[in-house]
Amino acid sequence: MKTPKQKKYGLATVLGLIVILTGWNAYSEKSGVVQTIKNAAAPFDNGSVESVPPAPEDTVLAQVRYQGGVFRVETRKDKVKRFQCSQCHNNQPVAIANAVETAHGDITLNHGYKVKQLACFTCHDKDNRDVLITEKGTKVDMDHSYQLCGQCHFRQKKDWIGGAHGKRVSWWAGERVVKNCASCHDPHAPRFEKRWPKTYSRPFTE
Amino acid sequence: MTQKSSVRQMIGFITDVTRWSLSGGIGYQLFLCLLVVFMMLGVFAYLVQWKLGLAVTHMSDIVSWGFYIANFTFLVGVAAAAVMLILPSYIFKDKDFHHVVIIGEVVAIGALVMSMTFVFVDLGRPLQGWHILPIIGLFNWPSSLLTWDILVLNVYLVLNMSIPAYILYCHYNNTEPDPRKYRPFVFISIFWAFGIHLITAFLYEGLPARPFWNNPLMGPRFLASAFAAGPALITVLLVIIHNTTVFKIPKQTFNKLRLIIVISAIINLIMLFSEVFKEFYFPTHHSLSAEYLYFGLDGHNSLVPWIWTAISINIIGTLLLAFNPGKNRPLLLLPACILLFVGIWIEKGIGLIVPGLVPSPLGEVVSYAPSWVEISIALGILALGMFVVTMLLKPALIIEHRFKSEKPS
Amino acid sequence: MGFLKNKSCRQQITDEHRPCQDSGRREFLKKAVKAAAIGGTAVVTGCQAPGLLGSKEEFALQFQEYFKAHYRLMTEKERDATINRLERLAKLQKNVDVQISSKEAMPGVLFGYGFNVTRCEGYMECVSACVRENNLDRKSNTQYIRIFEMEPGQMTPDAGKGKFFNEVPVDGRFYMGAQCNHCDNAPCIKACPTKATYKEPDGIVVVDYDWCIGCRYCMAACPYYGRRFNWNEPVVPVKEITKKQHYLGNRQRRRGQMEKCTFCVQRTREGRLPACAEACPTGARIFGNLLDPKSEIRFVLENKKVFRWKEELGTDPKFWYFID
Repeated sequence: MKTPKQKKYGLATVLGLIVILTGWNAYSEKSGVVQTIKNAAAPFDNGSVESVPPAPEDTVLAQVRYQGGVFRVETRKDKVKRFQCSQCHNNQPVAIANAVETAHGDITLNHGYKVKQLACFTCHDKDNRDVLITEKGTKVDMDHSYQLCGQCHFRQKKDWIGGAHGKRVSWWAGERVVKNCASCHDPHAPRFEKRWPKTYSRPFTE
Repeated sequence: MTQKSSVRQMIGFITDVTRWSLSGGIGYQLFLCLLVVFMMLGVFAYLVQWKLGLAVTHMSDIVSWGFYIANFTFLVGVAAAAVMLILPSYIFKDKDFHHVVIIGEVVAIGALVMSMTFVFVDLGRPLQGWHILPIIGLFNWPSSLLTWDILVLNVYLVLNMSIPAYILYCHYNNTEPDPRKYRPFVFISIFWAFGIHLITAFLYEGLPARPFWNNPLMGPRFLASAFAAGPALITVLLVIIHNTTVFKIPKQTFNKLRLIIVISAIINLIMLFSEVFKEFYFPTHHSLSAEYLYFGLDGHNSLVPWIWTAISINIIGTLLLAFNPGKNRPLLLLPACILLFVGIWIEKGIGLIVPGLVPSPLGEVVSYAPSWVEISIALGILALGMFVVTMLLKPALIIEHRFKSEKPS
Repeated sequence: MGFLKNKSCRQQITDEHRPCQDSGRREFLKKAVKAAAIGGTAVVTGCQAPGLLGSKEEFALQFQEYFKAHYRLMTEKERDATINRLERLAKLQKNVDVQISSKEAMPGVLFGYGFNVTRCEGYMECVSACVRENNLDRKSNTQYIRIFEMEPGQMTPDAGKGKFFNEVPVDGRFYMGAQCNHCDNAPCIKACPTKATYKEPDGIVVVDYDWCIGCRYCMAACPYYGRRFNWNEPVVPVKEITKKQHYLGNRQRRRGQMEKCTFCVQRTREGRLPACAEACPTGARIFGNLLDPKSEIRFVLENKKVFRWKEELGTDPKFWYFID
């Protein structure tokens, strides 16, 4: 049997240890996710993920670089049904009946209605219908339409290059492939239409 | 007296205890049969739940804990309340409490069996329960409070079974139990009783996701309500024992118990007032749960009549017991105790669990009422608890009575 | 008088000096034992009959599955064995060929998610894609992702309307989504008594479904409504089952197990985007490697006004909201 004094010392030591350990635990630097991210400066080799297939064929190397270097953009020219435009538009009158209706009847032009209503030749080069043209007169390939759209929508362009706007195609690893502007936005009437949601959340029975 | 071997003594003890448990008058037999019938109902309902899954209850992803866990929470409190008899009888050497302490311990065993059964029926995959055991499974101690709870409840059950078993065995053999053998464990069980209910409270208190529960008053509140409801139940049981058996309980025992109940009930009401003040003096986004409970939210007000009834009968019971108009007359004590017990059961059971989970973390409000499966299983477990208490109490009282009457005063 | 005493027995001995033919007690016991033996045999043979507990092979597979260890503690061999059993069970029970992967986390990867509140239009394509990709229970309409219609002035999903079904976007409303935030300091991991839910090295908070006992403590602990419980046996039409699965991801779950968004572990560990990010038509969901300083998610965190939901709770989520 321990003496009462020994018991007291024993208890005091135990309590003291508990207090010290708790305090140490509570005040020690706990690194959160944000700190981990700040500390992570080493580059990550995106190519190291073997399961990612090579980039799809309908992409081109973008003319701008993002923070990680080069990236690819989905092409546009192969998705436009009647490209090449110069098939009809080759500096001669178009000799087809109701050509406008047939070829361009599906286009509604409603772009910039509040600020600056755009016309066809705001973006399309009058002399070469296969390319687009900027305000300054620079020719822009249709696959690189972001150079054109970015004139007014420069904020979205900056975000799109960085990755905060737009969409990456299918793979987060491997070579970066993103959708171009016209993949999502109809360039003639870019505003998204209202639609019904794909599904709903079922109410609880009670 | 011939020197019997200890094994033969033990066998004799067990045979006699079993015989005493099962024998009795026609009323007793009918009572046992009724309990068995309810237990069978519980088993049947559990089989339905086993076959179809927990979807047969009215629990959902929002109210993920319901009637089962509510009853579990309340019953752990009843089990902890045995300490209110153990403390005076062993530490303060109170003769009156010493006379009835065995009853408190048996009630604790019954309540613990009921709590653990409630947890078992609430599990989604009870067959995989071995996953929680240390060594063969993974025991997330000390992080998870559920592991703490399992640990302390089982140790408390063992303590509450072994100490009375030893004492009863000695009394059966007409010898005085050796205090050195059981006093240290009694001492441990006193602290342990406080521990089991604090840890059950911490189960809820430690969740920052649930602002209704995440307040420091949960632990003390649990203790106060347990020490009011538990002794109330024990009082009712003592009245029944006093009136149906030869084991007589003196009036001062009832008076002392009443004092314990009154003090705990008043502290409970003060804590309730503190909680209500915090929620409603300056309601915040965190007060939505309390609003849902007391006044209803978005048209969901099924809990409102329950909580107001619970608080009213809680107050009435407390006042009746405090002012004692009947001067300890069982006719007034008994209903007051029952009112207090039921009031605390509602408030600490469903009145604690469901508002804690509603509104959900996404702000959604639903109503909850237990389904027939939950109610049947709960009735079955209640019958099981009563069965365990009866089976243990009858031989215990017989042994105690025999020992007291044969002891030279 | 003892409940079990038999008066007639004693009478027989005293009257006729015959050994006691204790018809009452002994006969009852004999009959009971016989009945139990017959009943037990019937149950055992009945259970072995095909249809009640499945075929013998199915029963054997499930029997072996019952005793397996926690996924984290399994050796390579044990993992392969359990995957073979699970694939075989899927074939036997539903006649579907699945490939369950056990691919580990890639080194140097910590997954993070960005949600662009301005771009979300409430289309719920993400919800639908998630349900299909992760083989979620159609019977209870389990959805890991919830989308909310918010009014101006509301900041977080819990203030919004979660059950809308109208043409979107409604004028004057905006939309926010909520799902498991994959917290770095997850309260669910702390709460789980069996360590069934844990954080993988690439930051994904996963559930070892077969280790879960269904206590639902993690569900009470989660502040983001990230976890779902299988109250009934999940029902997925066989034609719609996604066959490329991961042990910790979208494989068949059973009744009584907890499940949650896993950042599509079966896709992201192969380098693919999760189903929700890929399905979103407006590009409101950004997913990537937080440890890659050049990734898009890092660009978002450094250049956009990001915030996390319920930041004050200290859960350290890896799901950021931002406004353009």
